Amino acid sequence: METTATGVERSSTPVRSSRRRIGSLEPWLYLLPGLLIFTAFMAIPTVGTIILSLTDWNGISWNTALFIGLDNYTRALGSGQFRNAFINNLQLIPFFVLLPAVMGIIPATMAHQLALRGGRWFQAGLFLPYIMPGVLIGVVWAWILNPIFGPVNRLLKSFGWAKPPVWLGDFTWALPTVGMIGAWAAYGFCYVVFLAGLKKIPTEQYEAARLDGAGFWQEFTAVTLPGLRGEIAVVLSINLINALRAFDVIKTTTDGGPGSETQVMALYMINSAFGSNQAGYGAAIAVLLSVVTLVGSMLILRLAGDRDG
Amino acid sequence: MTLHRRELMKRAGIVSAGFAAGTQLHTQGVAAQETELTFWDTLNSPPRSDIADNLAASFAESHEGVTVEHRGWSLDELVSTLPRSVDGNQGPDVAQVNNGEALMGPMIRGGQLVSLASYAEQFGWNDIFPEGLRARNMYSADGTVFGEGELWGVSAESEIVGFFYNRSIFAEHGLSVPTTFAEFEALNAALREHGVEPIAFGTLDKWQAIHIFGAIQGTFTTREYLDNIIYRRNDASFEDQSMLDAAAKLVEWNDNGFFMEGFEGVNGDDAVPLFTAGMSAMLMQGSWAAGSVAEGLGDDAGFFLMPPHEEGGTVLHVGGVGIPYAITTNAEDPDLAAELINSFVSPEAFAQFVEAGILPAGEISDDLIVEGTLSGDLYASWNAALAADAVGHYLDWATPDFYDVITAQLQSLLGGQIDPQAFVTALQESYAASFE
Repeated sequence: METTATGVERSSTPVRSSRRRIGSLEPWLYLLPGLLIFTAFMAIPTVGTIILSLTDWNGISWNTALFIGLDNYTRALGSGQFRNAFINNLQLIPFFVLLPAVMGIIPATMAHQLALRGGRWFQAGLFLPYIMPGVLIGVVWAWILNPIFGPVNRLLKSFGWAKPPVWLGDFTWALPTVGMIGAWAAYGFCYVVFLAGLKKIPTEQYEAARLDGAGFWQEFTAVTLPGLRGEIAVVLSINLINALRAFDVIKTTTDGGPGSETQVMALYMINSAFGSNQAGYGAAIAVLLSVVTLVGSMLILRLAGDRDG
Repeated sequence: MTLHRRELMKRAGIVSAGFAAGTQLHTQGVAAQETELTFWDTLNSPPRSDIADNLAASFAESHEGVTVEHRGWSLDELVSTLPRSVDGNQGPDVAQVNNGEALMGPMIRGGQLVSLASYAEQFGWNDIFPEGLRARNMYSADGTVFGEGELWGVSAESEIVGFFYNRSIFAEHGLSVPTTFAEFEALNAALREHGVEPIAFGTLDKWQAIHIFGAIQGTFTTREYLDNIIYRRNDASFEDQSMLDAAAKLVEWNDNGFFMEGFEGVNGDDAVPLFTAGMSAMLMQGSWAAGSVAEGLGDDAGFFLMPPHEEGGTVLHVGGVGIPYAITTNAEDPDLAAELINSFVSPEAFAQFVEAGILPAGEISDDLIVEGTLSGDLYASWNAALAADAVGHYLDWATPDFYDVITAQLQSLLGGQIDPQAFVTALQESYAASFE
């Protein structure tokens, strides 16, 4: 086919233009699948929850929903049950946030320094609780701590403790026990993150510290901890989110009891929304829980960021 | 009822493409009459699911051109799926709808259920169930008043809470089934004295606390008071002497060691194997545990209900009817749907339940009761409670969130955190707040 320069020009202009148009759309096309998933599973449910939180709806029949403005929020903030649940969440923070971080950093440092044989199996063993479903963890620990046939109390009785606590059913011990279960479930994650972080710290820093006569503890505080600042921020943020949204382990061990000793916000939200047909009120608690979680996480990241700066 | 319109169109298309004229007419005739009834319930595992499937097949057999499809769900799934399916016009014709404000009330108010008032007379349901049991499935026409008005559901199964006991342990210590409340207390004291754990149960997962309290409270109360509390009428209040007496008695029993040591840390269902392993003389549980108890203890197992304070007196026993079957507004032929429900409470259906060791909602025929057996004890107890209209209530029905309130307060009471007066006051505060 014969073509002239003009002809080519004429025929190629729209092609180039449409290519340019496709070219400008191309990044959006790549984003589209993710955007659709985000919209369907994040944006719409989030907006839906916020709208629901402004209604008095029983979660059953749409035609009974009533718009009540911020009433659900004022009710939650004035509710003793909500306050109790919030305080319990705060009391769980040392167990769910700090303890697993400490429990993770110690074996991570040891594994890094000692280069243990069979280290991968060791790592897999430590990480295992983190990948176990919370429901399973709760059921297994409720069995382990059963005061009649559980191995813990049988062992304690064999050592001569005639009447050990009933742990999960005890008003004094229930919250710390649930907290310890949460810490056990989370420390494997902390361990893996810290171990990865430790591998990034240049060995020269340790050598320099040793040349300066630093012992293990000084090495740990002067080299290891500053070197893990970023990882610590990540671990604390994720642990905090887990502490505030704690649900499955508590549901399957104590269901918020005894009394309301281990009642937490997520459990209160689920019970309100689905247990007592107050979907609007439950949605308001969900929004408040999200806000608290967001603020807490931002605070930790901000603190870590300031130190970096 | 779902007409298979697409199927009909498809068949019609095939027919017009070349089938013989006689065949065409026959096929179209059958297809036009073919209707499908669907029912959803919580009978999702054997033997219950088998019974539901059998009943569906029997109904289809006796109704030409009708097919019946049964789907068994878990209760949580059913509760979350049913209302939205009915709203979307994709719900079943018949479904189990949880009593009271759990689901029935909201669905009536949402215009999702069909009243069974006329069918109750037509099928004689008022004769099968005493008033006390019918009331649990009744609501006013607008769905605002529970426990009176029209019938909206019919239950096929029932349950009652009492005490399973180990005949061997009783015989070993020369003990017999108590006939009065005082004898029951003496029995527990004697067992403790002999070093035997008297009553196995567990409150870690909370729900059994309601049963033990309700069982005691049922000896101090009247049908009128309990109905008023549950159906929220006549300014009933938890600040009542029967509540105080029951709370005080619960604390006293706990102090006297009538309950298995460590019950606070044991789940309700975990108490069953402890009892069948011989670790206690009695088990406080509902009739639904009869299968596990029979399997674990065999001929050693027996059952009795909480005895009254005076011999021959009446006790309101914790228990009730199973989740009732209701007709949804999706049903295109409510009359046929009502017939299906009626087949669930027929003598044939009840016989199937009894054969599977499940309590039916109505009276059990005497020829099915074998004295000296666990099932015989259970059926005789049920018939006696039914005849006296003495099936009480689950107290957590009082308000939508009362389960959380009363279980937390009972754990606090048993844990020595509060006294009976504070317990009753807390219940009343929550109850009163639900009217605001």
